[in-house]
Amino acid sequence: MSTIAMDSSSSDRGADNTIEAPGERAPLVLGKHDYGTVTDTICGIAEKAEVPKAWKIAFVASGMAMAVLFAMIGYLFLEGVGVWGVNKPAGWGFAIVNFVFWVGIGHAGTLISAILFLFRQKWRTSINRFAEAMTIFAVMCAGILPAIHVGSVWVIYWVFPYPNQMAMWPNFRSPLLWDVFAVSTYATVSMLFWYMGMIPDLASLRDRAKGRIQRIAYGLASLGWRGSQRHWHRYEVAYMLLAALAAPLVLSVHSVVSFDFAVSQLPGWHTTIFPPYFVVGAVFSGFAMVLMLLLPVRNWFGMKDFITAKHLDNIAKVILVTGSIVGYAYSIELFIAWYSGNHYEVFAFVNRALGPYAFAYWIMVSCNVLAPQLLWSKKIRSNLKALFMIAVLVNVGMWFERYVIVITSLSRDFLPSSWGTYSPTWVDILTLVGSFGLFLHLFLLFVRYMPMMAMAEVKAVMHDTGLVQPKPANAEKAEIATAGVENPAGALLEFTDPDAMREAAGKVRDAGYENWDAYSPFPVHGLDRKMGIKRTKLPFVVFVGGATGLLAGTLLQYATNAVDYPFVTSGKPLSSIPAWIPVSFELTVLLAAFGAFLGMLAMNGLPRFWHPTFTSKRFARVTNDRFFIGINADDPKFDKKQTVTFLAGLGGTHVELLEGE
Amino acid sequence: MTTATTDPIPAEALKLGSGAQKYMLGFLVLGAGALGVAALLVPFEHFIRSYVTGFAFALSLSLGALFFVILQHLTRSGWSVTVRRLAEVMAGAVLPLALLYIPVILGMQALYPWAGEGSGDFSAGKQAWLSPTFVIVRAGICFGTWILLSRFYLRNSTRQDESGDVDLSRRMQKFSPVAMILYAITVTLFSFDLLMSLDPHWFSTIYGVYYFSGALLSFFAFVILMVFFLKRSGRLAHAVTVEHYHDLGKQLFGYIVFWAYIAFSQYMLIWYANIPEETQWYLLRQQGGWEDFGMLLLIGHFLLPFLILLPRGMKRKPGVLAAISFWVLLMHMIDLHWLIAPVGHGGASHAYFGLTEILCVAGLTALFLAAIVFKLSGVSLIPSKDPRLPESLAFTNH
Repeated sequence: MSTIAMDSSSSDRGADNTIEAPGERAPLVLGKHDYGTVTDTICGIAEKAEVPKAWKIAFVASGMAMAVLFAMIGYLFLEGVGVWGVNKPAGWGFAIVNFVFWVGIGHAGTLISAILFLFRQKWRTSINRFAEAMTIFAVMCAGILPAIHVGSVWVIYWVFPYPNQMAMWPNFRSPLLWDVFAVSTYATVSMLFWYMGMIPDLASLRDRAKGRIQRIAYGLASLGWRGSQRHWHRYEVAYMLLAALAAPLVLSVHSVVSFDFAVSQLPGWHTTIFPPYFVVGAVFSGFAMVLMLLLPVRNWFGMKDFITAKHLDNIAKVILVTGSIVGYAYSIELFIAWYSGNHYEVFAFVNRALGPYAFAYWIMVSCNVLAPQLLWSKKIRSNLKALFMIAVLVNVGMWFERYVIVITSLSRDFLPSSWGTYSPTWVDILTLVGSFGLFLHLFLLFVRYMPMMAMAEVKAVMHDTGLVQPKPANAEKAEIATAGVENPAGALLEFTDPDAMREAAGKVRDAGYENWDAYSPFPVHGLDRKMGIKRTKLPFVVFVGGATGLLAGTLLQYATNAVDYPFVTSGKPLSSIPAWIPVSFELTVLLAAFGAFLGMLAMNGLPRFWHPTFTSKRFARVTNDRFFIGINADDPKFDKKQTVTFLAGLGGTHVELLEGE
Repeated sequence: MTTATTDPIPAEALKLGSGAQKYMLGFLVLGAGALGVAALLVPFEHFIRSYVTGFAFALSLSLGALFFVILQHLTRSGWSVTVRRLAEVMAGAVLPLALLYIPVILGMQALYPWAGEGSGDFSAGKQAWLSPTFVIVRAGICFGTWILLSRFYLRNSTRQDESGDVDLSRRMQKFSPVAMILYAITVTLFSFDLLMSLDPHWFSTIYGVYYFSGALLSFFAFVILMVFFLKRSGRLAHAVTVEHYHDLGKQLFGYIVFWAYIAFSQYMLIWYANIPEETQWYLLRQQGGWEDFGMLLLIGHFLLPFLILLPRGMKRKPGVLAAISFWVLLMHMIDLHWLIAPVGHGGASHAYFGLTEILCVAGLTALFLAAIVFKLSGVSLIPSKDPRLPESLAFTNH
């Protein structure tokens, strides 16, 4: 595949697989790995009793910080929002700054999972699980902040449309309500995506589990996944559809967050480039956070073979690109403020750069636009300490960007009589620190107890890119172990090489068997065609789900805001179709995503916790490094002797009969 | 993984062949004729405004292609190699477009309030920025950049056809980030000057991205049509397969959605905030019949192609893709007309669209095609020795 040495011990970064000659593709997994060692490495982390000391320290420290967050929230509930620095005119203080910051961080996960997937960026497989988890925890942090900001937090459920005695409905023309739908849809779909991706890996943990409790817990969580190729087929289509739904979703979420500001008339908030600019900024900060967490975790758990120099290099490049686009947006904002000739616009930007909050502005510019420019240098991209520092700077810069947007614009209204100043209180600052605690604490738990890398996907990439050399078949005939089974439920043939299994599958089909299946730790591409699996109808289910969401969402808004509770707000007509689009869109994606996930499970007949194949001891390796073809006993052609002889000649290593009930 | 054939592609399938000359002349005559008829048909003020529509249309095809070429090198893309030459040539056809900008300069006074008597109400700085001299200088810089960038990529790529030198790929790759930055700046500035400043009081920070999104989607539509007609005439053979159609279709679909996203973002923010100096731009386009054009764009530029291209199978049917591509190009023309026409010469009071606009768009596109045929006739239709060509030929969608 490549001429690059696969020696991972040469330096701290591992081998340099960032250089690839045009026409060649550098390997994405280094070291001498096969499917089995991937499972061992990743599952090993969750199974080991010992954890690195650094992890323990971080775990305790983040736990304490998290406790501070809950204490601050408790104090806020007791005393009210007055404990924060918010005032008139700066009614949105740290809480909203932090909210936008955390939602932004939460964008990298789904970007890596969905958009890089759609663009067939194979390097994503080593980091997507990790980033998806990060997304979910960041969105949790984000969700808390506006919720506790409302003052009467005990009636926060009023934001949802439900029939009530007050005969009131939420105002769907308000961007703040769009946020409720956007963020909760995003959290839900991200969680689905994360969980669905994890099912095969949870099955790996189940099949390796030593203790009864682990086996039951991982068993329940993996829904009886058995690596069936017929399942993989629908699973892959569902995954692709979820990716296709999540891609516009991820754009919509930060666009909606930007609407919170941009639909207003405030200079510095109202500008049309806000939606794409917010999205890019979110991706920028999200990638920086991925990098910041990836570097230590990679070190603690010995992941250098999987998170290679190329991965870090690519992340650094994404940061450079998005940082430059953010720089483009800053420049266009400045230019148009001048071009518009509007005095308020001009003032807003002069005030940002030279006014009382100039420090925040210059931190923002130097961290977001200037610091990433260092990444042009290959030397810096390959220096781990420098990468870490730049990632930290970017996160600082992006936090200050939100500070600049929220605080400077609010504190300088149109009339000097409504000018004011904002400074945070100790509660504000401790809440920010605490939100990092919550985020990191959950994250540390994740890397410790869950499969932090998408093993099945990494294996599929290793197979597709030819990183695992096929083992030479050592015998013409497979070893036969069928003694003692009187009334079999089926016969099972084992392979060590997926390509051998693919060839054999074609022969099983040609022999006229109907009730049979192939099982593998990852989807073997090209196998579907050999087996004659028809393309699934799942996309249709997803379409129906989406159409239902669109219709229901639009009707909901019409019925509540135009018919049942007609109330004119901010001069918008009762039927405000443009203002309904965000919520209709979110509900479309939400129901379509449910369609993809639940449809996939239903069509696959999952969860199913018992299956004849599970009686085989050897079959436990189907989620690790072995491949099987199984012919069920209820197949009309099944004959105990003949079928076994037939299977034995297909190039596998071992034939057995499955115990019947 | 690979199901594509490894047979060599017949040499004649990779050349335009001897008929090219005829086509080029045909397009030239057609283009010049159409523009001539349009110029005679209506008063100059009307003609020049429609000319800008045609010009912005042809330019967007070329600029979309340039972006595509740079992006493929920036991302070291493999799948797209077999269609990259067509894009390189489209990008290269920006040179005659630079000459076709001259009528816009001649018509500046009729087109742009800032070039005539209306410039008095601006600040001194803005007057200088929007003075004809400075605008022409900027246009010169923009066209100069695009010509240099497109020549760089076309020349190195065709040189590789002969030598097969891998270093040429490295060189194109190495230059791509800088090329991308130059591209972003020039496209933004030029779209502000050419289109946004038709109404010099109005401003929108997303405008550059809006023009860019239209450029990309029309580029993909155009390249799909080019592939379709080349394949119908027996060229490209299995260099471009249904898998490449599928990917081009996905991109077209994606950029249709992207265009809708950008268009909606701009509309939503201005509609919601309702600030008079911004809203007037949309207000103008929501009365006097222009609202029908807006509706047509919503349905024809977004909903219809979106729903048709949504199922996987549709993106794998060349006939369907070509038809949709043609429709998308029509809608792109309507979009530009809707951006350009309502401010001028009575367009504010009543909507219009007619023969002049069609002739101008068709005429400039024909001249653009003549340039493409001219450039394409001397070179291979695919980068035949690109080191990533095998990857592209073997590529399949799962």
